[in-house]
Amino acid sequence: MQFTQTNNFNFELDKLREAIQDEYEVVATKPGQGFHFHTGRPLAYILGYEDAWLDNIPEQSIASFAGTGNPFSLGRIYPGEHVLDIGSGAGMDSMIAAHMVGPEGSIIGIDMTSAMLAKARSAAAEANIENVEFREGYAEALPVADDSIDVIISNGVLNLMPDKLSALQEMARVLKPNGRLQIGDILVQKEVPDSAKGKIDLWTG
Amino acid sequence: MVVVEVGFVDFEITWRADVFSGAPQESSAASFGTLGINFRARKARSEAEWYDEMNKFNCAIPQ
Repeated sequence: MQFTQTNNFNFELDKLREAIQDEYEVVATKPGQGFHFHTGRPLAYILGYEDAWLDNIPEQSIASFAGTGNPFSLGRIYPGEHVLDIGSGAGMDSMIAAHMVGPEGSIIGIDMTSAMLAKARSAAAEANIENVEFREGYAEALPVADDSIDVIISNGVLNLMPDKLSALQEMARVLKPNGRLQIGDILVQKEVPDSAKGKIDLWTG
Repeated sequence: MVVVEVGFVDFEITWRADVFSGAPQESSAASFGTLGINFRARKARSEAEWYDEMNKFNCAIPQ
């Protein structure tokens, strides 16, 4: 999938996406390697995930979890709701949400990294979770219908997008009126100089 | 502010914490004071609700 786009930084968007995909392909395929962020079950505990949420989630999915927050701490997700997980990775949050919404609800997970999509689909099949679908796509151009989603969750993904305005506009497009955002992300407390914003390795590490 | 501009209301950061310290590899995040956060917001029910939210950001100059 090619999606060339200009931005205010000194790199092509495709180059940044390739670097992010390379990084998260390793998180998918070699989750025990050790990264500049925590991963897996230890990270889930740092972020306040409850043991019960992780029950029935395949270990292959938990091992590649790399979030920065806890979307489920922000409000309840109700049975029957339709949830979108942006940057669904190996599918852990999507499958937690799938249990919360039950058989009348549904989850769409979106990710741009093929290795993560493969792992998420494999894990959902292993756990016999049928109300979740993983789609390839970008947050700035969501492959999701207008006004169709009750809750958007995302975890550690928005910070990786140079065009956050487009991503937020897409979230507003697909949410139903009164729909909720429940997002884990990062906050940078010190101003990042323009020279640093143009360095791809700082976006990924 | 940008979250509100695109149609959301009730934006709130509910939690922040250093989620990078102790990671296996050193992160460039530390030098920028990077924290993990949780935030929530809600898509406005109507244009009227959204306009009300936008008006909260208007800075009226006292006469």
